[in-house]
Amino acid sequence: MKITISLRGTLPNQLDGIKERVVEVPDHCTCDEALKSIGMDYTKMKRFGFVAINGKRVMIHDRLGEGDELKAYSSISGG
Amino acid sequence: MTMLGYKNCVLRVDLTMKGATMEPLRMDWAEKYIGSKGLAIKYLYEELKPGIDALGPENKLMFTNGPFTGTPVPCSGKLSVAAKSPATGTINDCSIGGHAGIQIKYAGYDAIIFEGKLKEPGYVLIEDGKVAFKDASDLWGLGSHEAEKILADRYGHDYSVLSIGPAGENLVTMSCINSDYYRQAGRGGIGAVMGSKNLKAIVVRGTGGVEVPNIVEATKRIIEIMQQDVLQEDNTFVFDYGTTAFLEACNDGGILPVNNFQDATDERWVEYNGDVLLQGKKGKRGCGSCGLGCGNFLQIGDAICEGPEYESIAVAGPNAGVRDPEAIVKFNQVADNMGLDTISAGDVIIWAMEMTEKGIHDFGIRFGEADKMIQYLELMAKREGVGADLALGVKACAAKYGGEDFAMHVKGLEYPQYEPRGSWGMSLAYAVSDRGACHMRAYAPNVEVFAAAVPPYTAEGKGQMVYELAESNAVKFSLCICDFWGTLNYETMAELLTIVTGKTWTVEEMGEVGRRVINVARAFNQREGFNRKDDTMPKRLAKEALKSGAAAGQSIPQEAFEDMLDQYYDVLGWDRNGMMPDEMICQL
Repeated sequence: MKITISLRGTLPNQLDGIKERVVEVPDHCTCDEALKSIGMDYTKMKRFGFVAINGKRVMIHDRLGEGDELKAYSSISGG
Repeated sequence: MTMLGYKNCVLRVDLTMKGATMEPLRMDWAEKYIGSKGLAIKYLYEELKPGIDALGPENKLMFTNGPFTGTPVPCSGKLSVAAKSPATGTINDCSIGGHAGIQIKYAGYDAIIFEGKLKEPGYVLIEDGKVAFKDASDLWGLGSHEAEKILADRYGHDYSVLSIGPAGENLVTMSCINSDYYRQAGRGGIGAVMGSKNLKAIVVRGTGGVEVPNIVEATKRIIEIMQQDVLQEDNTFVFDYGTTAFLEACNDGGILPVNNFQDATDERWVEYNGDVLLQGKKGKRGCGSCGLGCGNFLQIGDAICEGPEYESIAVAGPNAGVRDPEAIVKFNQVADNMGLDTISAGDVIIWAMEMTEKGIHDFGIRFGEADKMIQYLELMAKREGVGADLALGVKACAAKYGGEDFAMHVKGLEYPQYEPRGSWGMSLAYAVSDRGACHMRAYAPNVEVFAAAVPPYTAEGKGQMVYELAESNAVKFSLCICDFWGTLNYETMAELLTIVTGKTWTVEEMGEVGRRVINVARAFNQREGFNRKDDTMPKRLAKEALKSGAAAGQSIPQEAFEDMLDQYYDVLGWDRNGMMPDEMICQL
């Protein structure tokens, strides 16, 4: 299935500088699996933040559907 | 022992007698509380009599810097301002940016304590060791910006000005102190304490310096820390975006409040997000000794401000049903000039909007009425018309007119703009904060919303989590370091403190200082009669589930909230009534 992955904060620069891309991923894969498909392992990223599907924060192991937008944020400091 | 980095001098200003004296800093207290937040609270705990009127001459207004102030240590250009709060009756310490903290240090002082009350409106001019009392009859009644402009023209831009607006003069308990025009000591009515002393402004210039043990080695290491730690992308995002960067994350996280906290996601957030606001950017500003420069000076239409910060955007934007960027900036500008805290002033207005819409009481304003929202600020600052009621704050207004279930405050301090039903730990952080609902004591979303694998909607582990966040901020703010150095850890804190003071500090001692600061603030409040009954959350959070967004369907069961409170008290060794045992108080 096709999804859009958008990277926020410092994450684009930790990968390849690209902020948004449409990618093909296995049906109903998890956010973690989708990010790994573009070379991003959140457990190894410096100050990885959180993920959202279609503008709603979810847990990293929640599953995606066809056409979803997966946003990944770097961690946020301050208030 | 005498530590370097300090001036070892406190200036005590008697406003009643128009005199000033200098005394040595209590270095034994500095060793336990460092400076800034912690030291101010310790002084006030020791010097203020329990039960005093926060707006009476017996309250003291204290300005404290820290050992890093005036050195090249990054992000150290802040200043703490503390007093008993007229809004809550608790201890209240605020942090203000700009350059006044450095001027005070260079003038020769670790702290300035204002006591008593001027007979007539005046301002105090401090030039190194000289203190002069000046007439402020030409400034009284002016906006804070206008007053600062007059004083800057009178003395020159080598001086720093701390001033209040009409709200502070009129003892509005949500009034702030301004400096460098757009920096505020914002919360808890600290401006009203200054106004209660008939003190319109403080003008200060210092020409001295700060002594450290080895300036060459210190500078070399500080530059390394600056390059390796401060100037990394995790911190420098504030240079480009300031706290506007939080809007999208808060919206996606389900914690961006809408219509007086009736919901926590706004599908129209793109209309006023950072990219839109910053199209009006005219320039950059930063505090002294800052490597991050978060201040974006911008203009949209005829509205100007520095910022606006996330808090002001949220309260004057989605939480007020407003999406007009110019109105949001104008709200910020007028609130600053009137000397009003944008959070509290905004919260009482949006509460009034909901009261009107629900037909409980007609305050003449509804969600989305941006022009009225801005007009109400001036009415509140001057206590005129409907503003006379709203200036009382949301707690007092709700007691008078109803609507208590959605009066968003703790201990009388209005809620910041992070919705706890999407971040359960934040309900605890607001409840146990030393000055009422404050997001700067423990910022729970960092851990439970803006993280990949931490569940936000549970009480489990939240007592320990909030304590650790609070401990870290308590020591960070006692070092007088800005919140935006987000990557700062205890190792770097201890190393910098050792470099600057010449005394060896350990990582363990950083945590001990943080815990001690939390405890002395609690001891102050406990002495004023506060306990578990006051560590509350608004009823809306338990009674109403969020309707949309990431946290749709979430409410916080009262028993879950009580569980979090128990956990927090247990971590600190307080009893289940939230009281510190006497033996713990004796060790402060």
